[in-house]
Amino acid sequence: MTVRLIIDQAVDGADASVIAERSPEGALLDARLDLSILPRLEPLLLGRPVAEVPPLVERLCGVCPAAHHLAGVAALEALHGIASIPAQARRVRRLLHYGSMLTMHATSFFAAGRQEALALRRLGKLAMAAAGSPGHFPTTAVVGGAAGAMVADAATACAESVAAALAGARDLFRWAQDDPAATAERHAASSDTFLGADVALVDADGRLDPLGERLRAIDPAGQVIVAGALASQWDDLVALAQPEAAASRPSLLAGGADGGHYRVGPVAGLRVAAPTTAVAAELREDWLRGGGGTLAARAVMAVHCVEAIADLVAGQDWIGRDDTEPDKTGPAAAGRVGVGWVDGARGLLVHRYRVDQEGKVDQALVLTPTAQNEYWLSRLLIRALTGDSDHLALENAIREADPCLPCVAAPAGHMGVKINTVTKDR
Amino acid sequence: MCVAVPTRIVAIEAGPLPMARLEPGTVPATCCLAYVPEAQVGDYVLVQHGFAIEVLDAESAALSLAAFAELGAIRAPGAPDDAD
Repeated sequence: MTVRLIIDQAVDGADASVIAERSPEGALLDARLDLSILPRLEPLLLGRPVAEVPPLVERLCGVCPAAHHLAGVAALEALHGIASIPAQARRVRRLLHYGSMLTMHATSFFAAGRQEALALRRLGKLAMAAAGSPGHFPTTAVVGGAAGAMVADAATACAESVAAALAGARDLFRWAQDDPAATAERHAASSDTFLGADVALVDADGRLDPLGERLRAIDPAGQVIVAGALASQWDDLVALAQPEAAASRPSLLAGGADGGHYRVGPVAGLRVAAPTTAVAAELREDWLRGGGGTLAARAVMAVHCVEAIADLVAGQDWIGRDDTEPDKTGPAAAGRVGVGWVDGARGLLVHRYRVDQEGKVDQALVLTPTAQNEYWLSRLLIRALTGDSDHLALENAIREADPCLPCVAAPAGHMGVKINTVTKDR
Repeated sequence: MCVAVPTRIVAIEAGPLPMARLEPGTVPATCCLAYVPEAQVGDYVLVQHGFAIEVLDAESAALSLAAFAELGAIRAPGAPDDAD
């Protein structure tokens, strides 16, 4: 079957469409954001040589190609049984990832502080250049290593930009945490109503790590549901209720409250664990005391990205050393499954491939943060529709869950939310 | 995931909110460059909800367009739909 993407709609996506299911008596039964605009790419990946898949997916995603690049290469490494990569390769990959995340978080703050946001975006771009990926599509990671060592000029420029970027990021956190215009959004769409789990990647010590090898899940009370699962355990970790749909409704097989549903992203991450860097860890405490919220959480993560970039480019002794050499491996075994993941700006991204005897993909999954947060967004929309039901309440609910949709790029108050009511029997 | 096709800037109107006119036949026809002040005429941009969110170098734009073309996902302006 030929799948045709209507690119006109993707280039300037339709306004946000909320589907409200009501009983014949008018009672609200359910609500969800219409994700049908999002294309399902997996059918298009079947039959392709598996090595071609990550670059293809990253070139189709306009927003976070670096996350797809890193998750895809990690999945390929899993297919080839590569368990570790050289230290410098890990370093440049982290630099790429933090730079990419910083550029994405910066876009949330243009309205609040244009100069601060632009400074964060510039630092993010410099970090990506220092990681060997100056263009939009990254080339940093190769299977088993990296394409090259850190780029000295760009790394030096990063180091020189850090202080100003960190000061700006801290100011943006204070605005997101304290300013009435920002806090109204948080209070209108409080995360406290979510009964599912929070999921994030962590390091071996249980600290927040966007490139962590372990996945941790906690329940609303903070109790650990999954302590530290590896990517290779994915099939025993998560099930998809609707695998063919954009809203695939993943859930944790370990269960937990609310049927195993969970959310990912900055809010989930900061509830799961503290960042590894000092200022961000301190701001996280402030964030927790202030009741949480997506915008302030993004600001904390922006601070963390700046600090992490500073740590990665600090010291000049390693620049020029190139122990990024990839491991040389043969083809992946038929029937083997490879899973790679990263925790991006919007949350956990998972690439899962299975190959046949010719090394071609016969199963593919690209599980995005948007799909994983769809259930959370549904709960937020139900709350908004039960309350004021005005467009601002719905817009705030959508921004809280932050789906990767064109509508969230709209300035505040201009999202254009449409409600489609569907009548259903209970 | 959010699919985004690069479109080329053919003209820029300077101002507090600089606006770009995009290649003829593109939807939308214009976009705001507030998020990407470095964008210039001839650059390719990714547009979401009327705002350019990213500037692509020519090579990246070519890679992106090639990926869409490989999947048969790009329909030329005015070309008939298969469903017609």
